[in-house]
Amino acid sequence: MAAGVAAWLPFARAAAIGWMPVASAPMPTPPPDNRRKQDGLILLNVSGQKFQTWRNTLERYPDTLLGSTEREFFFHEETNEYFFDRDPDIFRHILNFYRTGKLHYPRQECISAYDEELAFFGIIPEIIGDCCYEEYKDRRRENQERIQDDEDSENQNDMVPPDMTFRETMWRAFENPHTSTMALVFYYVTGFFIAVSVMANVVETVPCGTLQNRVKQVSCGERYALAFFCLDTACVMIFTVEYLLRLMAAPSRWNFIKSVMSVIDVVAIMPYYIGLVMTDNEDVSGAFVTLRVFRVFRIFKFSRHSAGLRILGYTLKSCASELGFLLFSLTMAIIIFATVMFYAEKGSSASKFTSIPAAFWYTIVTMTTLGYGDMVPKTIVGKIVGSVCSLSGVLVIALPVPVIVSNFSRIYHQSQRADKRRAQKKTKLGRIAARKSGGTSAYLQYKSNGLLSDLIDEASKAAGQALVCKANPMFDTHHNHLLHCLEKTTNHEFVDEQTFETSLLEVSMAKHPPHSPSLSSGSSSQGLSCCSRRNKRKSFNVPNSNMTGGHRNSIQELSTIHIRERPITNSRSSLNAKFEETVPLNCKQPYITAAVITLPTPPVTTPENDGSASSPDYSQANIVRVSAL
Amino acid sequence: MSSCRKRCKREMFKFAQYLYRLVTGTLHADSVEDELELSAVRHRPEGLEQLEALTRFNRKELQILYRGFKNECPSGVVNEDTFKDIYSQFFPQGDASTYAHFLFNAFDTDKDGSVSFEDFVMGLSILLRGSVQEKLNWAFNLYDINKDGYITKEEMLDIMKAIYDMMGKCTYPLLKDDTPRQHVEIFFQKMDKNKDGVVTIDEFIDCCQNDENIMRSMQLFDNVI
Repeated sequence: MAAGVAAWLPFARAAAIGWMPVASAPMPTPPPDNRRKQDGLILLNVSGQKFQTWRNTLERYPDTLLGSTEREFFFHEETNEYFFDRDPDIFRHILNFYRTGKLHYPRQECISAYDEELAFFGIIPEIIGDCCYEEYKDRRRENQERIQDDEDSENQNDMVPPDMTFRETMWRAFENPHTSTMALVFYYVTGFFIAVSVMANVVETVPCGTLQNRVKQVSCGERYALAFFCLDTACVMIFTVEYLLRLMAAPSRWNFIKSVMSVIDVVAIMPYYIGLVMTDNEDVSGAFVTLRVFRVFRIFKFSRHSAGLRILGYTLKSCASELGFLLFSLTMAIIIFATVMFYAEKGSSASKFTSIPAAFWYTIVTMTTLGYGDMVPKTIVGKIVGSVCSLSGVLVIALPVPVIVSNFSRIYHQSQRADKRRAQKKTKLGRIAARKSGGTSAYLQYKSNGLLSDLIDEASKAAGQALVCKANPMFDTHHNHLLHCLEKTTNHEFVDEQTFETSLLEVSMAKHPPHSPSLSSGSSSQGLSCCSRRNKRKSFNVPNSNMTGGHRNSIQELSTIHIRERPITNSRSSLNAKFEETVPLNCKQPYITAAVITLPTPPVTTPENDGSASSPDYSQANIVRVSAL
Repeated sequence: MSSCRKRCKREMFKFAQYLYRLVTGTLHADSVEDELELSAVRHRPEGLEQLEALTRFNRKELQILYRGFKNECPSGVVNEDTFKDIYSQFFPQGDASTYAHFLFNAFDTDKDGSVSFEDFVMGLSILLRGSVQEKLNWAFNLYDINKDGYITKEEMLDIMKAIYDMMGKCTYPLLKDDTPRQHVEIFFQKMDKNKDGVVTIDEFIDCCQNDENIMRSMQLFDNVI
């Protein structure tokens, strides 16, 4: 909750008077309001630059350096001020955080210096406001990458981690040829053979002089058929071996088969095998010739060797819609002009414009300003249309090209930014959810504390963690009391999501027998329970609640393990003597935070035991607490 | 039928406007309307002395109140949306906007659509420093939505629903749909002495003064500031 809103709590409490006449139950007593001492100004001297603020402003966040007693370490008696030997420019933002509740990140500051200051003053960076959060995360990630790159370049020459399997080593060799000499050799050999194969395909068709008793030139492919066949076979064998090796080494074979490079590999070597299988049949020789065309796809295998090709392919793919639209608009223009041209030239004799599709060729050639001259209009109307066509062609072709180019860069950066934002959105939602559930769980914790808040205060002071553990104690107690009044007014209680859903479930599955032993008897135990109804506990067994999800049980186990460990360490406090069997629940912030995070929900409640008394009795004997010390 | 035609016409006009903008190439941002919003409403409250006279707070308390008020509303007035926003932050589980709406109307005594610091502090003065009679008066005013001097069952039902909305849906026992209505029935049984279906201010104050719980709870927040 924003710090500023805390100032409106008195208003919210006063407005609660509106519920009183309709309340069906008596209200709980308000928490004691120890008169705060008069609010005073605090002088903060940061490397010579003086800042002043109210004491209350700083104490809004008691778990930071300035809000807690930790600042006393920096108190300078001679000048009666708090002196910090830190950067005053960054301190300005930190102080603003106390004032406004929002932490901002200044763009001109170095990210590591900023992080250091935050760490010094005990402020977690996650609370940076939404306005600056993206920028902060970006800079942070760049910094991490920079550090990572530095580390990587150090590790370049390191030995391969010894415990990689042979398969992993192979895959690594295939993907990063620079890792070992063998990989490099393999890389260059395949590259060489791709080049050789492509060159062979090209040279095959060059006319190579005449054979005896033939007049026509023959191509080299026909003259040295055997040589070319051997060369082709060798290349295909190399490619096949390479493909099979890659397939074997791939960590996920299905993913590898689906990938583009693998498809290119297959298309490159398939024609050869198909040609082997097929006989020299007249019917299929036409198809066979077509297949040879696919051999040219071998050139795409170079994209493994060239990052530039890959980037081009990616940008083309991401620009596909723009290209498609360009094509569509061109097609429209072509059809329009071809039609007009056809009808214009219909009259003239010996016109080449025999049909509209025939006119397509003329239109394309004219619009792209090629102008081969194989089809020329003869009528005047035709010539007029032809000139309009070429003029508009210039516009239609030239205009979208810069648009596409700028689209390339825009789309490329946009997709990068969209990914960033998507990743950040997930963490942001997580933060909001954690905050919300934290607020609810804090209130439910308060309810379990109930009237023993005084005792808790003393206990926590005794443990020496008074101010550090609780965040904004006065505000929270008053806020919780307000929520409690609302519960009393409506005669319903706040519960957490999980319990609500389970109680829904139970209502709908009324005849489902309970899985767990009834918890109404005092002897059985229940690990953690937040709602008012609780039984006296003697031991910490793993709670056997109605929730049968194994996942939940294990997590509750985890929470009880937490509990088990803690009391042992706290032997010096007088608490153990007082509460042997019942240990007070201390809303120690770090522990509760951990609990909230490891449990998907705050601890489980069992609403339907102990009858249905509407008002919980806060008698001391019945309330059992769990130590979190 | 005529509304359909009107809507049609409006849509056509918007489309024509859009085409015009498309052709002439107006930029989408920075239309004229935005300019007006920048000249925000500013309000300066009365001097401290006047406020001290009008309310039952002393100087220090007024200073603290004003600082908190100005922090959330730098312009000096709260409009209904900000009010709802602030109030909703205290009730994260449910939807506090309806109740905040009624509260806003109760605080906005001069009915100008915004709550200035004077309205705010005078309302608080009644709630925190007023006599029980005044507080009950204020509560009656809150429940009487149309300010006609009578609380009808419908008005009470609206208020009750608003209060229950603040609880949200994750409650124990499960909130049923007619829970507010039942609560209203209980309330009317208690308050409506002559069973005429409405509660007047006298019935209300009478009944509340005879109810110990209510009297005690009225004093609950007396030392909030």
